[in-house]
Amino acid sequence: MSYLEIRNLQKKYTKNGPMIVNNMNLSIEKGEFIVFLGPSGCGKTTTIRMISGLEEVTGGDICIEGESILAKKPKERGVSMIFQSYAIWPHMTVFDNIAYPLKLQNVPREEIRRRVETAAAATDIQGLLKRYPAQMSGGQRQRVAVSRAIVVEPKLFLMDEPLSNLDAKLRVSMRTELKNIHNKLGATSIFVTHDQAEAMSLADRIVVMYKGNIEQIGTPMEVYQDSATRFVAEFIGTPPTNFFMTSIERTEEGVQAVGDGFCYQVPVGLTDTLLPYAGRKIEMGVRPEYIEISPGLDRTEGYLTDVDIRFVEPQGSHSILIAKVGATEIKIHTTKYMDIAAGSRVSLNVKEGRVMFFDCDTGKRVK
Amino acid sequence: MMDRLSIVQKTVMSIFLAGMALVVVIPLLFFGTVAFSNAAEMSEFPKSLFPSSTVTVRVEPTESGSYEVFYDSGEGYESIITTKDAEKLEKHFRRQYSVTLSGEEILADFSQTLENGPMEFTYKKDMFYNFKQFFSIVPNAAEALKNSIVVSLLTILISLGIGSLAGYAMARFQFAGKEQFNVAMLIVRMFPVVGISIPMAVLLIQMGLYDTLLGLALLYSVPNIALTAWITNSIFIGINKELEEASMVFGANSFQTFMRITLPLAFPALAASSMYSFLTAWNDTISALILSNENQTLALVVYKAIGTTSSGIQYAAAGSIVLILPALVFTFIIRRYIGQMWGGVEL
Repeated sequence: MSYLEIRNLQKKYTKNGPMIVNNMNLSIEKGEFIVFLGPSGCGKTTTIRMISGLEEVTGGDICIEGESILAKKPKERGVSMIFQSYAIWPHMTVFDNIAYPLKLQNVPREEIRRRVETAAAATDIQGLLKRYPAQMSGGQRQRVAVSRAIVVEPKLFLMDEPLSNLDAKLRVSMRTELKNIHNKLGATSIFVTHDQAEAMSLADRIVVMYKGNIEQIGTPMEVYQDSATRFVAEFIGTPPTNFFMTSIERTEEGVQAVGDGFCYQVPVGLTDTLLPYAGRKIEMGVRPEYIEISPGLDRTEGYLTDVDIRFVEPQGSHSILIAKVGATEIKIHTTKYMDIAAGSRVSLNVKEGRVMFFDCDTGKRVK
Repeated sequence: MMDRLSIVQKTVMSIFLAGMALVVVIPLLFFGTVAFSNAAEMSEFPKSLFPSSTVTVRVEPTESGSYEVFYDSGEGYESIITTKDAEKLEKHFRRQYSVTLSGEEILADFSQTLENGPMEFTYKKDMFYNFKQFFSIVPNAAEALKNSIVVSLLTILISLGIGSLAGYAMARFQFAGKEQFNVAMLIVRMFPVVGISIPMAVLLIQMGLYDTLLGLALLYSVPNIALTAWITNSIFIGINKELEEASMVFGANSFQTFMRITLPLAFPALAASSMYSFLTAWNDTISALILSNENQTLALVVYKAIGTTSSGIQYAAAGSIVLILPALVFTFIIRRYIGQMWGGVEL
């Protein structure tokens, strides 16, 4: 039995309305840092609100340590939450904000003071305890929210896009700090975000959600390198995966994926899986860094086609090259030819085996 | 903001504001002065800007053993009264000069003139003489003050009790006819009280509430419930729902959340609403005139006192001050919270 177990969880807001969360199943082990990643409206926030008890559950079950928590009130569930708006109370001092849950539990005053100070120290806000929220910056308020969340020593931390209101620089440093606090406390956390960079850098495992369904559960490396669906391949990664509509054809040289303006030799390992698709459309995806360019027009086994580079977007550490294969605009991530001039003619070769095929109807990976 | 106003705009604005201030301040100042003036000062012309705290009379002994009292009402000393009767003197000094001394004390002072010749005496005025007089000569003034307080508090209670709940419901829940309900509440405020006073009187008579404080409070509450609902609605909408949710997650039940989070955050709105309710109830005369008989409110009593006296206007003025002061004090206390509502604390 896992620490947190979500079984067939469902949520509808109206009786005949759409499923906001559709038969979700998920097991989380103690000490894990789980990130729910998905575009807005995918049901990720609804899910953690159901876990916290702020939202009614339509169907299914949620268990913590083997015990169903559905019948429990929010305060009885042993979870704490960090809200998107921080939700720290403006009419209370920082101390009172952090002490609020303890006061409600009738913890002795001395102990409250000690625990609040410890929690404040964990986020470096010891000096602000007498201030009111209005006298603090966004980052400081965020720290108060974190302190309040850790002071109750919860079984589970729920974080609902806690960094989205911070400026870009603070967001990056704060996320390192959150991860640090998580590790120090040995806590179990669920973090909701639509920012894939945040998800990749924080998560032990990422749960990619789309339209109420889990698209993929996996480590950051897994969801990036081994995307389970077209949605995951497109949603994760900047720039996103390049997609080509192809049809699978059997030729003398082997199995080929033929697209608009190119012809790609399917790697041997995939030929058997793709043969059933012979004569049918299938979508091919290649991540921008796995398209190699050759200004000398050299061709390898993964040869796609020759193109003219249309634009070059230097990023310092790498450059993004933009070209057109047939009618499809593609982006190429290169560290090798960062100074290539726009207009250059190059050959495109897919790095060995670094290709993903997706079923056009289901969007599922074919492998 | 001010930088963008041109000098012309600023000037026009200043003149306008000064005019407004004058319209409000001059009558207040006048009534304030009158309320602290004695009868003698009332007949002076020009009237002094501020009431004096003392009275000076000149006394000459007469050959018949009486004392002739002279008073300077602006055009030199004039003989006012000649007497040696203690009771008469006491009455005269009290009524004319608001000096509350016994006749014997006055006579004792005056007797010095027998040796020294004509002398001037300065006595301290009883500054609150008019106020005491107001409550003693105007029938039921004290009772009316009590009635006013009771009616105002009842009005606040009813308006806040019902209005804030309506405001909360409109802010937090979706229900059929919400928009219509919203507008309908405003319509209640459209009718002038005089226009609906007759049916209102009939209604109150039928309910057995005519000429009762509760009846008046109910009448005042009707428009204020709507106003309270509007004010609190906007505040409750402004209170981020996550603040309440955080409280629920961190260990509070709904009631504790309401008491510890929602209510304190909505306090400025409740304060503002209660101020409006208070002012409606406290200042009204027209409804009270129509709908009460025995149980009059202070505003009505003062109105009648001003409307019916020709002499002793200073007593009515004192009554006005009694009427104005609580409203002023209440407004100034509440003002702090209203300031908070419009931009002090971020909700």
